[in-house]
Amino acid sequence: MRNGRFILLVVLSLLASLLYACASPSIARKHPEAVKGMPDCNECHSDSWGAMNHKAVDFYAKHKFYASQPNVCMGCHTQAFCSDCHAHKEEIKPSDKYKDNPARALPHRGDYLSQHKIDGRMNPASCVKCHGRQNNERCITCHR
Amino acid sequence: MESHRTSKTRRPLPLALQAAGGTLAACLLLAAAPAMAETVVSGQSDTILRIGRNSEKKLEVPAYEYLRLGILSNDSYGGTLSANFGGWGRVNLDDRSNRDRKSYESDLQYGYISYQAAKNNIVATAGRQFVTEGVASDRLDGIYLRSDIAAGFAASAFAGNPVISEPNYQGGDVIFGGRVSHSMYKYYTVGVSALRSSGETKNNREELGGDFWFHPAKELDVTGRSTFNALTNNWMEHAYAVSLVPNDMFRVSADVSKINYKDYFAGQTTSVFNFSLPGRGIDPNEELTAVGGVVALNPTKELSVSVDMKHYDYKVAQPANYYGAKLAYAKPESYSAGASIHRMDGKQNKLRYTEYRIYTAKEFHNADVSLDLIDVHYDSAVNGVRDAFTATVGGGYKFNEALRLGADIDYSKNPDYDNEVRALVKLTYAFDMKYAGEGRAK
Repeated sequence: MRNGRFILLVVLSLLASLLYACASPSIARKHPEAVKGMPDCNECHSDSWGAMNHKAVDFYAKHKFYASQPNVCMGCHTQAFCSDCHAHKEEIKPSDKYKDNPARALPHRGDYLSQHKIDGRMNPASCVKCHGRQNNERCITCHR
Repeated sequence: MESHRTSKTRRPLPLALQAAGGTLAACLLLAAAPAMAETVVSGQSDTILRIGRNSEKKLEVPAYEYLRLGILSNDSYGGTLSANFGGWGRVNLDDRSNRDRKSYESDLQYGYISYQAAKNNIVATAGRQFVTEGVASDRLDGIYLRSDIAAGFAASAFAGNPVISEPNYQGGDVIFGGRVSHSMYKYYTVGVSALRSSGETKNNREELGGDFWFHPAKELDVTGRSTFNALTNNWMEHAYAVSLVPNDMFRVSADVSKINYKDYFAGQTTSVFNFSLPGRGIDPNEELTAVGGVVALNPTKELSVSVDMKHYDYKVAQPANYYGAKLAYAKPESYSAGASIHRMDGKQNKLRYTEYRIYTAKEFHNADVSLDLIDVHYDSAVNGVRDAFTATVGGGYKFNEALRLGADIDYSKNPDYDNEVRALVKLTYAFDMKYAGEGRAK
């Protein structure tokens, strides 16, 4: 019953969308300016998009919230970018794949075999988004 | 009563079938291309060779090919149709007696066709994809639809098979959900979302959530999300963050999160998150509250100095504090360098250590070099070792805008390995630089 109500809500929402006569333009499919390196969106955007400043020290921690606006992210990134870290099955950790860019915020730098035992105890929830239901081949070699 | 846990095994599609599906999608798109105003084909190939020894000191030489491909066409109505494919394959070039890994492996990370309309931010996507909508941060084989509705509302929905890595663990047969949001883009976005993953498994999920992003002024940015587990009838997680940026040189941010382990880990399939492994798995009675903050100064566009701290408080375990400072300099396509020191102060011995890191990278005309030094110094020895140390030296040469060869070598000495040396060689070839790559890992 609960499923039925939920599906009805979604279907009605989509129907209303299709009937929406006063269509507004979509966000640009592709960012109009080429961006080099980590962008500080404030350099051009004085509105809310300035909050997407990738150089901000807390951007890496907050990107999970911004990801609920996927059409914004897609202006510069494809899903290839997401899958570097949020992989389905992966054998090379991101920080190994991009050792030529040590300034980039990437998980599991250095000897993570030792460190993961500590991080896993401190906050196991931080592992879940990438390793909870997928990308866990390496996990199960020890955690059977 | 094993009958409630049907051990139905879902077999992943063979690589050939995955590749055929991706190729078919691409062909269908190309067949439609003449009607389109413009078609762009681009992508990237990364060929990676790793050399090292495993825990049994046996030589491992796996060779990987990562291929990403994107085909994009704009239609005469301003919409965009695209096909995207990303996957990898690996063969072992070392001794076949090495049984740690299969001699070959492959995976399709994503493969989908997507249409984005010129109006209403309408997006329709079909195939293997990564969906991030409120409570959902999931990969699925299925469809995703999204559109703006009137008066600032928007809605999205998705449905398909959940993609899980280990077919012997059951992640459900069907996953579906959606999100309804309201935005005034200058000021805020709020959303409610739901997700259900079901099947004849013990790992079903029913999650409901609310999320928001407030930015009433340029100087203030507040984000948050709360997620409710409808199966355990309790909150899984609350996570909130605020950033205050009074000017370009100064930034203060804080975050707080609370996680109820019993509710958060209930739907996970990886065995380490089981509740039934005394002393090794997850304690369902545990609750974590983490409170953190960062203060950052940016005297110039390139330079950043920051101090940060996080306090971990538990219902069962002992609390701990993590704090430190970081200095970073970055000038795009020229030079970057940084140094950081962090201290973990916990009640338990294994939660008392200090982390040090120094890195630098320099680009010359067509060449680049990098150095990264990381040391974790434990107050009490682990396996008789007080330091986990890693040194990495890398370098690369760009033959032209499309082709780059890079290599790095790293040395580690840590509680698990004595004097471990590993090397990696990577050849990157980017297709179609002119159109700057759909499908490329930008």
